Amino acid sequence: MSAPRALLQLGEAPQDVTRANRLTVWLVACVAITLLLTFGSLVIGTSSIETSLGWILSPDAQSSVVLWQIRLPRSVGAWLAGALLGLAGGIAQGVFRNPLADPYLLGTASGAALGVTISLVAADVSVGGLAWATKLGITGAACLGAGGATLLTISLSRGVLQTRSLLLSGVVVAFLLSAITQLMLLAKPDIWRSMQSFLFGSTGFISWSSVGLLGTVFGVSIIPAVFLSRGLDALTLGEDTAQSLGLSLPALRLSLLGIVSLATAAAVGEVGVVGFVGLVAPHLVRETLSVNHRQLLIAAPLCGGALLQAADLASRWLIRPAELPVGAVTACVGGSYLVYLLWRRSRNA
Amino acid sequence: MTAPLAATARRGAAHTGIVAALIASMLASPCGAARAIVIRDDSAREVRFAHPAERVVSLLPSLTEIVCALGACARLVAVDRYSDWPTQVRSLPKAGGLDDAQVEEIVRLKPDVVLLSNSQRIAGRLQELGVPSVAIDTQTFAHIGHSVVLIGQVLGLPEQAAALNEQIDRSVRAVSETARAHRHGAGPSVYVEVDRAPYAASAGSFIGEMLARLGARNIVTPDLGAFPRLNPEYVVRHDPDVIVVTEEELPDFTERPGWDQIRAVKEQRVCSFPPEVRYMIERPGPRVADGMQALEACLERAAP
Amino acid sequence: MREAPASRTTTSPALSCEGLRVGYGSRVVLEHVSLDIPPGRWTSVVGPNGCGKSTLLRALAGLETARAGTIFLQGRRLQAWPRRERARRLAWLSQNAPITDLTAAEVVALGRFAHSGWLAHRQADDDAAAQRAMTATGSLAWAARRLSTLSGGERQRVHLARVLAVEAPVLLLDEPTTHLDPPHQEDVARLLRDQSQRHGVSVVSAIHDLSLALTADRVIVLGHSGIVGHGTVREALEGDWLSVAFETRVNIVEHEGVHLWRPALDVRAQQGIDR
Repeated sequence: MSAPRALLQLGEAPQDVTRANRLTVWLVACVAITLLLTFGSLVIGTSSIETSLGWILSPDAQSSVVLWQIRLPRSVGAWLAGALLGLAGGIAQGVFRNPLADPYLLGTASGAALGVTISLVAADVSVGGLAWATKLGITGAACLGAGGATLLTISLSRGVLQTRSLLLSGVVVAFLLSAITQLMLLAKPDIWRSMQSFLFGSTGFISWSSVGLLGTVFGVSIIPAVFLSRGLDALTLGEDTAQSLGLSLPALRLSLLGIVSLATAAAVGEVGVVGFVGLVAPHLVRETLSVNHRQLLIAAPLCGGALLQAADLASRWLIRPAELPVGAVTACVGGSYLVYLLWRRSRNA
Repeated sequence: MTAPLAATARRGAAHTGIVAALIASMLASPCGAARAIVIRDDSAREVRFAHPAERVVSLLPSLTEIVCALGACARLVAVDRYSDWPTQVRSLPKAGGLDDAQVEEIVRLKPDVVLLSNSQRIAGRLQELGVPSVAIDTQTFAHIGHSVVLIGQVLGLPEQAAALNEQIDRSVRAVSETARAHRHGAGPSVYVEVDRAPYAASAGSFIGEMLARLGARNIVTPDLGAFPRLNPEYVVRHDPDVIVVTEEELPDFTERPGWDQIRAVKEQRVCSFPPEVRYMIERPGPRVADGMQALEACLERAAP
Repeated sequence: MREAPASRTTTSPALSCEGLRVGYGSRVVLEHVSLDIPPGRWTSVVGPNGCGKSTLLRALAGLETARAGTIFLQGRRLQAWPRRERARRLAWLSQNAPITDLTAAEVVALGRFAHSGWLAHRQADDDAAAQRAMTATGSLAWAARRLSTLSGGERQRVHLARVLAVEAPVLLLDEPTTHLDPPHQEDVARLLRDQSQRHGVSVVSAIHDLSLALTADRVIVLGHSGIVGHGTVREALEGDWLSVAFETRVNIVEHEGVHLWRPALDVRAQQGIDR
């Protein structure tokens, strides 16, 4: 960890050892839960397949397709999307220095929705549009839309110097793009159904190629994020202090927000607009552990991944063989968690 | 176009044996058929079949109806949860709804083809998993004929498809002519409501086309789009003779400000239908003439 | 990687500004400010509330954009220094630091950011510097504790340690004695004295406690209409700059070599009333 080793030996060593232990326990627990959920998602599905161990180890050809081509990529993809959202949320909460920040603050959700709408409308309107829309796919359209929205937000706030102006322009962009989306939907209400299913979130379209995309983006996001995490630590001391330590605040914010928008765009592209994971995962880590940002940006993705995996499993199992949209499950769970926090706070106050 | 096989069979009882054998060979599994089927579906994708599809999954009720109308009901291995006609498909395994197709179920059934609507996203996933899918547009009158031809190709039943189309055309024409004969003057003006927002169905929508063939005048012109969301004032201003409702629940029009002045509301000239009839009206499929019949029955009752 | 202590005989100032003009929005707080901060000395900035003490310090630290004028750090324009190099030479203590969840050790380690960069603790130097700083401020005992669990005074000492850990030749401190009880305030004064005299660091601080502030070598007196004067403490007292700046009689008495502010209250008369 980042505390100087010499100092670790002095001071209240037992407490610090406890702290390192708690983090380790937490990380191990996350990994264990993830493995359990992955196994669970192999066994639980919407089709009536026997759930014995022997079947998993040597399935027939057909069940093999179900297992390895449908259930496994879906579970892994859900984990990766959740991890991306958890990472983005952790960074957003650090950059905005607000424990309730979430990765959609920059308007990514509205941007993705607009991208999907434009793509669906274009496919409907002309053959050329159809060709372009098919090539891009819902995922590509959502990614582009999300990325575009972030760019718009950042340029509207005239650079990233002011946190407050970023938040404001994020809200403005979100409203603006939502309004445009609504107008387009009014003009072509028959794409409403497809839009809705995208908006509620769904892990049902995740394939191994999606997993590849999500995995790549995850690698490209988490490494620079952990590298820059010390800057987030410095930011907690105040902007003045961070600047005086030699940090370039605009450069730091720009890089971090770039990572947030990339991670969020990829996640939204593959699973639609899934709320609360980006908010709850880092929040949960901070509530149960005391961490610096490097540890947070490692623990939050693990937590977010497990969360979304669990939500995916629940969405497939609760009303089987029908499916709940995974966004609805995360909303319920996330909402309950926030209510619990409020209750606990009012109890302690 | 070749003469329908059915007509041929009827014409010569003496040839029944030969014809029966021909039909049997056409319907039986042509495992050795060397002719590959290549079709271009409505998402501009080219799909190849080594032989006509024997195991079919349909993810849209109208497509299910077409498959059965072509006499290939036995080939269906799964349908979506909304397919309910003919009654024998109700006992088939369900493969999900419009937006949540059960990929696992479909893959397990190892179908030769999955028929779905062009707007269903699952097509891409199915292709990835090696399940051939054919995306079909199913919104207008013209789409009916086209989807029948497409499905006929996939099933290896081109003659049946042509015969079905001809039959559909004939019956539609018959209903249309009868209906127009009943019209006095310009025909009743109609407002079709599909949602209480209110969303209307214009003359450019499927039900709009049906009503047009029945000689009714739609107060919502096609330039407004297929399902425009109207300003309620518009309906009041155009004062339709008949209101046709395809919502599940019949709204109380008198609650809406100004609507109690509309002729159709005052004189209670409202057409609504029980679910089975409603589905028939809404699906651009082989029962379109029956749907038109139901609409016409109501129009005759309700029109001034 | 500490800078060699500046020699006392050198004339080039550690920090200086010429014709400085700073403000917020349309309000101008300071104008036509030209100062020299000599190296190896402790300079206090004193003045009434709202006269611009913090603003001056922030401007000198490069945290406020100057409307006009230039600031020089060790003879070079402040803006001309590469960011990290400047951070190694100029350390800043904020007046109000937000409470953070980091441990004291991590906060102090951040002081080495300018030296070690993004990867923490590239050198043993950093550990040593951090340890020295925490020992000097007496905060070593709670190295592993989170800042949010410490008292105001303990937090302040950790922040001071962070500033010291930078081992910069110039220290700018805005109210370094906030939250500290008198014995610890004394410790801070002693520490700053030590830094300037023995380590040759140029210290500039704004301390509102006049007695403490006047233990420095030099003083910059700010009034509502600008700088009243800057020079040694003796010069300030002889010129009675404080009374001019505060626009009221300020009594400073010298007692056993220390300058003390004497409030103009007749305590004995007050006690008469209670009796």
